[in-house]
Amino acid sequence: MKRTTGAVAITSAAALLLSACGGDSGEETADQGSSAEETAAEDDAAAEDEEAADEEAAGDEAASTEAPVRDENAELVIWSDDVRAPILTEWAEQFGEEYGITTQVQVATDVRQQFKDAANVDQGPDIVVGAHDWLGEFVQNGIVEPVQMSSDTQALFTEDSLEATKYDGQIYGVPYATESLGLIRNTALAPDAPASMEDLAATGQELVDAGDADQAFVTPVSNVGDAYHAYPYLSAYGGGIFGTNSDGGWDPDNVIVGSPESIEGGEKIAWMAEEGLLNVNVDFPTMESLFAEGRTPYMVAGPWAIPNVEGAEIDYAIDPIPDFEDGGVTVPFLGVQMFYVASGAKNPTLAQEFVNTYVTTEDMQLALFEAGQRPPALQSALDTVSADDADIKAWSAAGEGASPMPNIPAMNAVWAPLGQATSDIVGGSDPAERLEAAQEEIVSNIGR
Amino acid sequence: MSETRSSEVDAALHNLEPTGERLEFSSRTPLWVQVVKWGLILLTLAVLGWMAQQVIEAGYWLMVSLIGFIALCVIAVYATKRAIPAKYLFPGVLLMLLLQIWPLLYTVQISFTNFGDGHISSKEEAVASIVSNSVREVEGSTRYALNIAVPEGTDVATGDLAYLLTDADGAYYVGTIDGLEELPADGVEAGPTGRIISAPGWTTLTPQEVNDRSDDLADFGVPVFDDAGEQTAGIRQVGLSEAFIGTPTRVYDEEADTITDTVTGTVYVAEDANFVPENGEGAALPQGWREFVGFENYTNAFTNATLREGLTKVFVWNVFFAAFTVVATFLLGMAIALLMNDERLRGKGIYRSILILPYALPIYVTALVWASMFNQDFGLINNLFGLDINWLGSAWWARVAVLITNLWLGFPYWFIVCTGALQAIPSDVKEAAAIDGAGAFATVRRVIMPLLLVAVGPLMIASFAFNFNNFGLIWLLTEGGPFVGGQSSIGSTDLLITLAYRLALGGAAPNFGFASAISVIIFFMVAVISYFGFTRTAALEDVN
Repeated sequence: MKRTTGAVAITSAAALLLSACGGDSGEETADQGSSAEETAAEDDAAAEDEEAADEEAAGDEAASTEAPVRDENAELVIWSDDVRAPILTEWAEQFGEEYGITTQVQVATDVRQQFKDAANVDQGPDIVVGAHDWLGEFVQNGIVEPVQMSSDTQALFTEDSLEATKYDGQIYGVPYATESLGLIRNTALAPDAPASMEDLAATGQELVDAGDADQAFVTPVSNVGDAYHAYPYLSAYGGGIFGTNSDGGWDPDNVIVGSPESIEGGEKIAWMAEEGLLNVNVDFPTMESLFAEGRTPYMVAGPWAIPNVEGAEIDYAIDPIPDFEDGGVTVPFLGVQMFYVASGAKNPTLAQEFVNTYVTTEDMQLALFEAGQRPPALQSALDTVSADDADIKAWSAAGEGASPMPNIPAMNAVWAPLGQATSDIVGGSDPAERLEAAQEEIVSNIGR
Repeated sequence: MSETRSSEVDAALHNLEPTGERLEFSSRTPLWVQVVKWGLILLTLAVLGWMAQQVIEAGYWLMVSLIGFIALCVIAVYATKRAIPAKYLFPGVLLMLLLQIWPLLYTVQISFTNFGDGHISSKEEAVASIVSNSVREVEGSTRYALNIAVPEGTDVATGDLAYLLTDADGAYYVGTIDGLEELPADGVEAGPTGRIISAPGWTTLTPQEVNDRSDDLADFGVPVFDDAGEQTAGIRQVGLSEAFIGTPTRVYDEEADTITDTVTGTVYVAEDANFVPENGEGAALPQGWREFVGFENYTNAFTNATLREGLTKVFVWNVFFAAFTVVATFLLGMAIALLMNDERLRGKGIYRSILILPYALPIYVTALVWASMFNQDFGLINNLFGLDINWLGSAWWARVAVLITNLWLGFPYWFIVCTGALQAIPSDVKEAAAIDGAGAFATVRRVIMPLLLVAVGPLMIASFAFNFNNFGLIWLLTEGGPFVGGQSSIGSTDLLITLAYRLALGGAAPNFGFASAISVIIFFMVAVISYFGFTRTAALEDVN
């Protein structure tokens, strides 16, 4: 029953067809928190963009899921996802003209894995654009190089975003955007921002009772769980995933998933499930369609969920995730998007020059903002954008105090056990017992 | 080739006609055949030569000798008149070796190493990476504006490299591998940032030229000496226009095979393919290297608690899943094929096209659509039939959901195969059965089925082997879940392959060595099952 390549030919057509009916073709199946979801959500958005837009330089490659092959003729090769590629192409071309070299921006559908694979056989690009939580893996494999930013340049970035580019105390990239979860509210159903999670539950329940909504609140849970979306509640009372070591980095030997603080957060997850806010039958695509159809007033998701909401013409507002009335402060993960320089770069000098002199400019950060609609990492660009874009101001506010997602490789061992634990808690398991079991599983996975 | 054949034909004809009246056959091969033959041989050799050149560039010497061997085989087999059976067998054997045996051997080889994240490169590369990644800017040091140059009169492609530097106060320097010297300001032209654009006695490099000398620049740095003449740090470039004074904070001692952190003073020793702190306190350095680990991966697989607990359960479900899928999809596909084979049915073409749709659509799309249809609260199936089944959340229903989905995905394959095979069954046997008084069911059961099974039996084994490792379906539909009993290691719909995937690649660091070991174990399981399967099909062929 092998499916031959013949089937590939109709893939794109069928995918578009089915995503049009179901609106849910994109859910990534990898078990890795935000980056997975983000890619999925963006793929959906990108598919639509591509239909409309003419084929960009890299557009023809975006349709396939094949890994890009390094362009041998180009002197500076950048790999990025399909959302940023068109805008990057413009900047790379400008850079190429200024320095008299040829550049090429290539779309990778799974930048993280494809870069790792290509770098192993020395066929990788010079620059990679991606999320900061890939860093530990990249350093471990020796495929990225430090970026020696001067202290003046470092000072231009928001503190959190710069911090996220560090591993073992060394800076490994130039950040350009931040992202975190926030509360997206259907203003037609819920005109006012909820004062607390309790308030949100009450308002949501009223709407459900009145028949105006089917669900009081949605965020991805699913049967296998979603640790990324559960983290804000889990960490509300000081709990979390890893403790920190002496230099302030994450300590893989100190897992705190089963700590009393995390369990207190876990109890809040159980409470939210009792109130009907969390439901194992809501996964990412279900969440998107419920919100897009106006069947729920509240959704906790990231900026990547916005294109779908806008496409459905829902009036929305963005707020930080509400806190609990008894003092629990919800803390989402902070994700930082950055430019990495590959250690196997064929053209390290030009790659360093590009990330140090181009990516650090306000103009380029603003251009990247246009493509991704994430708060820029450069302080001056962030100020410019926040001044006239309410959404970005709101996302930036939602990300305040967010905890940078651990970028150590041990995080890979966390997603599945922790996700499953939160899903089970939503399904009725005892939070203390379940989180302690997850802690054991995580510790044994890390040790393996 | 044809020459030999025609002489054989001659011989045969000669035997047929003992009277000695020989027919006139040209014993010479026609010219065009010779030309085509040698053309093809040369083309093959040219392609192989091109491939060899590619792998030489990439530096894979083992591959080069392999390609050379293949080329010799091509010449030996096709350029001579010997080895006629080999002329037929060679392409098939070669492809089998390349596409089946080679990956298998490669997997087996990897299963004896620790290859995986953090253990990708050689030890030298790991050490180089540790040291170069530890370079830190010397605290409080100045940054220079930089241009890269060679002495005037030397070739930009080979001349000794030098940094033309401007410090924060605007003073000019030349940095070479011997150290830093002041550059007289006379005649120096600088840009707005103080970066030297041209200086007498030096030829500056264009970005393009810098690019061409990347390899030289990678090893280039300007040493910085303290008053005692000891080198304390180095000036290194950051891109094309900036340089900083930096020093590695981790130093490798080749004699002792240790790495010392000059900031914390920690000494790291090589142990289990990683540098770990000598005193046992703290984390290992991130970059490890690849090495041979013997049977360690296999011992791990056989002693792994998760595998041991889950193996029986998962294995039973795995066999049932594959067997049920094959039988169910075959029966459904065959039933529909029989139906569609009826002459009285009109518009067969349309029905057939619609029926193979599930097969034609990519599983990446359909499995996800099915997953959303099985949603308990919002799924189409529960809504349509007014059910409240927790399809993907309860172990047994999830298995049912997987089987239903795979039935839908798989029956068109058997529909196509059976439609084809049914055409080959002569109508006279069916008529004979009818005359003998067999009803429709008995005809199918006793006449058509046995004839069909002869044709499709081997395909059923292939289908079994495919479904035994049907990773895509399970991963897209349930991710192996639901996970019952407060754990996330062994799912209710896990196949061995998904379990192995999660185990080997879902940990802190994906471990290809371990994954390969499990693949090899699964390979032996499937091989044994297939062996018995083929023995059974051999029995089926007795029908003829």
